[in-house]
This record gives sequence, C-alpha cells and structure tokens, in this order.
Amino acid sequence: MDAFIKDLIAYWPQILAGLKNTALLMVIMSVTGLSGGIGIFYLTLSKHKIVRTWTEAYISFFIGTPLLVHLFLLYYGLPELGISLSSLTVAVVGFTLNVSAYNARYLTTAYNGLDKTELEAARAQGFTQTETFRLIILPQVLRLSVPSLTNQVIQNLKDTSVAFLIQFPDFFAQMQEIASVNFQFFKVYMTAGLVYLALVSIIVLAARRLEKHVALPGFQT
Amino acid sequence: MTFWNILIILARGAGYTILVTLASISAGLAVGLLLAVLGTMQHKAVKLFLAAYTYIFRGLPVLVLLFIVFFGLPGIGIRISPFVSMVLSLGLISGAYLAEVFRGAIAAVDRDEILAAEAMGMNRAEIFLYITMPQMFRMSVPGMINEFTSILKYTPFAYTVGIPEIMKEAMSLAAITLRGLEIYLAVGIIYFIIYKLFVLLFMALEKRFRIPGLAPE
Amino acid sequence: MALIEVKNLVKTFDGKAVLQGINLELSEGQSKVLMGASGCGKSTLLRCLNLLLSPSSGQIIFKGEDITRPKVDIRKIREDIGFVFQDFALYRHLTVEENATLGLRKLKKMKMKEAVEKATYELERVGMFEHRNKYPAQLSGGQKQRAAIVRALAMDPAVLFLDEPTSSLDPQMSREVVNVINKLFLDNITMLCVTHDAFLAKYISDTIVFIDEGVVVAEDIAERLFYESADPRIKQFFMSVIDHR
Repeated sequence: MDAFIKDLIAYWPQILAGLKNTALLMVIMSVTGLSGGIGIFYLTLSKHKIVRTWTEAYISFFIGTPLLVHLFLLYYGLPELGISLSSLTVAVVGFTLNVSAYNARYLTTAYNGLDKTELEAARAQGFTQTETFRLIILPQVLRLSVPSLTNQVIQNLKDTSVAFLIQFPDFFAQMQEIASVNFQFFKVYMTAGLVYLALVSIIVLAARRLEKHVALPGFQT
Repeated sequence: MTFWNILIILARGAGYTILVTLASISAGLAVGLLLAVLGTMQHKAVKLFLAAYTYIFRGLPVLVLLFIVFFGLPGIGIRISPFVSMVLSLGLISGAYLAEVFRGAIAAVDRDEILAAEAMGMNRAEIFLYITMPQMFRMSVPGMINEFTSILKYTPFAYTVGIPEIMKEAMSLAAITLRGLEIYLAVGIIYFIIYKLFVLLFMALEKRFRIPGLAPE
Repeated sequence: MALIEVKNLVKTFDGKAVLQGINLELSEGQSKVLMGASGCGKSTLLRCLNLLLSPSSGQIIFKGEDITRPKVDIRKIREDIGFVFQDFALYRHLTVEENATLGLRKLKKMKMKEAVEKATYELERVGMFEHRNKYPAQLSGGQKQRAAIVRALAMDPAVLFLDEPTSSLDPQMSREVVNVINKLFLDNITMLCVTHDAFLAKYISDTIVFIDEGVVVAEDIAERLFYESADPRIKQFFMSVIDHR
C-alpha cells in the first residue's frame, strides 16, 4: 500500500494536470452545451418548416448515435479534410454537438408543458417572437428543466473520461499512464473511480442548491 | 472500396453490438428489478445498501467501471472475460437507473388495489407478481426505452476490451484504408439504424401489451 | 368619429366562413358586449380586431387608421389594446406586479420606478395591491383574473378587450370579477367584451351586440334584448343563458 501511495505522490503533478484538464473540459462543454442547446431549442420553434425539419434531424441524429462515434468522426475524419485540431478542440466540439442536442430535447419537453395562452397574451401585448422567447418562454423552460440540465452536467463530468480515447490527457488518461508503469491496475482504477465519485458528489450538492434557488411557487417539478 | 463496401464490412460487427446490447439490457433489467423490490422493504440495512449502490453506480463513468472490472480485478485474482465484463458493467450501471424508473412506477400503483388483493388472501410475493409488476412495467416504458437506447450507445466501449463489434471493425478498417471520415460516418449511420429499429421494436412490444387506462404518461 | 369601426369583416377557416360580414362601431368611453351561441364567431371577431388572426376581407378602422392594410405597425396597435383572456394567461414566472410592469418596461421602455407607479395605480383600482408580490400559482381564480386586468390596464390602452373573462370562474369569484369590471365601466373605460354570462353583460355594457352565424343580428340595451326581443333566435338564446328565478 505504501508503495502505491508513494507512486501517487510521485505522480501528483501529472494527476493534477489531468484533473485540471478534466475540469476544464467539463466546464467548457457544459457552457457550450447549454448555450448550444438553447440556440437549437430556439430553432425548433422557427416558423419555417425547413428549419424545424433540419433541426429535428440534427437532434435525432446526435441523440440516436453514440458519443464515441461523434468524437471519432471528428478526430479521425477531419484530418482527411485537411483540418487538424488539438484533441481538446475536437473533444469540445464533439461534446458540444452531442450535449446541445440533449439539452435542446429537455428544453422542448419543458416547452410542451407550458401554458400556450401565455404566449398568446404576449403576442396580444405587442411582443415580437424573439422578445416572447427571451422574456416568457426561456425563463420558464430553463426553470422547469433544471433537474434534467443538472443531470446532464453530471453526465458531462462522467463523459470526460471518454476523451482519453481520442488522446486527450485528462485525469483518467493520467491514471492509465501510472497503471501502465506500476502495474497496480486494481488500486489505480479504484482510486480513479473514487475520485470521480467525489467530483460527482460536489456537482450534485451544487445542483440541489441551484434547484432550491430557482424554485418559484407554481414551478413544482 | 466504395462506401457501400465499407457499410457491409462494418455490419459484420453489428451482430456483436446487438448481442452485447441485448445481454446488457437483460442484466440491467434483472438488477433494476431486484433493486426495485429491495426498495419496497423497510429494513434500515437494505435502505443503506440501496443508497450506497445508487450513489456508486450513478456516479461512476461507464468506462472507468469497465476498466476496473476487466483490467483491475485480475490484480486481485479475479479474471472476467471481455464479454462478461462489458455486460456486467453496463448491467450494474443501467440497473441503478432502471431501479429509479421502476420505483416511481411502483409508487404510482393504486394503494386500494393492493388492499383488495390482500383482502382476497394474497401474500406479499403474489401481490407483487400479479398486481404491482404488470402495472409497473407498463408505466415504465418511456424510462426503459431511454435506458435501453443508452446501453446501445455505450456498446462502442466494448472495443477497449477486445470485443469485435462495429467500432473495432471500424478502427481496423481505418488503420488500413485511412478513410476515417467515411468509415465513422458509416458507423454513425449503422448505429442510427440499429437505434431506430430498437425503438420501433420496443414501441411495437408496448403496443402489444398495452392496456387502456394504463398507458405510459 | 368612432374609436373602432368594423366594416363587412369576413373571416374564413378552411373554407368555412366564421365571420360573414360584421359591421360594428365602438366610440371612446363606450362599452359593448358581444353575445351569441357558441361558434357564432364572437371570439374570432375579437382576435381579428387586434390582428391575432388575419381577416379574410373587410376593413377595421382603429383610431382613424385602416389596420387591415399590409404595412400596418401591429405592435403599436397591440400596445394600445388591452386583452384579457378567459384562462387568465398570466406569466407564471413573474409576480403580479412584474406581470404588470413587464410590458411597460420592455415595450414602452419605461424606467422601473415609473412602471411600478403606474402598476400600483391599477393594482389599487382593482384591489390587488396587497397581492402584488404573489405568483399566479398562489392566487385564486378571481385574483388571477383581476391581476390579468391590471396587466392589461397598466399599458394605458385605448380600449380593453375581454374574452369570456368569467367563464373559467365559479359563481363567487365570477361575482368578484364582475364587480371589478363594473367599476371600470363606471369609470368610462372603453371596453369590448365577449361573453355568454348575461349577468356580467348587464352590468358592464352600454349596449349588447347579438351575433348569430357570423353576422350582427341586433344591438340594444340589455333589458330590451334579454326580455323584449321579437327575434326567435335571440329569445331562445337568452332563455337558456339567463337565470330566470
């Protein structure tokens, strides 16, 4: 056991770097995934059938295919088109495309539960479609979707571990390195598992507080 | 080699993909059902176990669990085959989510119906088997479809433990032909088709067993 | 000159003509109630007047302007028409006061302080000031409708449209809302109301306009229309909606 702990301490700088990368990726993709999700959700409400159809197709495709396929497609496919990007960029783009599709779907589910006459009232008051979206639809839809959206963030954290498969030096990748050197596979991977559990717990606590904060009378989920 | 050729070659791996998916779904159902039944018990120890189980298996990334099972366990003398490792990992994790879905459905069963069954003379096991479970399954359909398609989307990880499903075929092909773009696009298309077929299948099953008044929300 | 003039308004849906040539006038300070059987087109008419629905043909003159012509500024018109819905349609994520100030701040570009002042005036007028920080989910039906009226009045519209304002309320709350609208009526607020509630109609109207199958059949004061009409359609309608105890 002491040898194992000695190894952890010795490799600490790498582990820290890996944790930083994991955190970085998770934060970036959560932000871009949410903004992207809102944008795509906005498109699903478009009055032009062709926009709605293509948006639905996009959402359908990214929800219906594995995340790994998205990442591999970008990582191995783009160089063929002459575009070469860092693994971080590929990871961010791939995850964003994936996550924004799911977020858009959650927002749409919430939207279907809205009282549509509120939208009629907004039109009757003189608000434009965009204003109605910004002032009436979005605030309500985001509140109603908080549980799904925060669950997605937790999922994002767990999904960062997949990034190592496209050579992104995240926490899991670093732990692999250590295991390949000291052959303590069991201890190393168990430690990695515990670290992820701890990280997830932090996010869950933050999520609960957020849910309490945005709860309004009339928004019981 | 045309795009069509690529599709055919990759489709060879589809058999394994479907096999892994179905096996994992069965495992997940078994685990989820077991956990849901445990959830109806009042013992403190059981509740503690459930809380711990849920915490662990909803917090671990699938890939990490897979590596612990396949690469880690041999370190303490337990060797598990690639296929079983994959199915076990997916089963344990999806079981945790399915348990949640089932728990909600069980709670939605009318108390009065259970009372009536008790009054008829049924014991707890019979009540669960004949009254609760049939209703629970029908009300869990959306949740199950969600979880099963999730399992399908995790199967690509199987290549890391050597199972020759679609992803593995794709990587071999890509290494030889260097046509990553078309190959992974084809992979996406095949998965999408399998996904759609699965959904259609489940919905057909749901329709076959649907009861008026007990449709999923 | 009348505030609103409707000339031969026709509205068809899928080949079926719901409005078949409506002629109507509303002057400032007047209050008219539109009544008729379900499907006669009265709600459709209301929604055509603020262009929530597009008329198929005919003219609508609002404040001297023909608003059925193509290049009209819809937003300005809608800001000038207050709309109260049957199911309240309050913005669920905003308090009563915020519901009232939203339009003032975002459409009329008022500063928060001014907007609150204006909202306060209307809140006090309908007796909702003490509930101004509550959310719609915390209000009773009658309170919700009063809040909706505040939201409409806060914009200082030239006219108030009410679409079945009491139809979603039980008798007691209905009375509460009738009292409020009656108060507005006595304050000479220009109103156009659609309802099948004869009790409401009597207390808030200068005249009642009876519509049947998409055309105006008669217009008269409540008492005469309810009890002394010769037209069998009108007689039959009011037999069924008035409590003759």
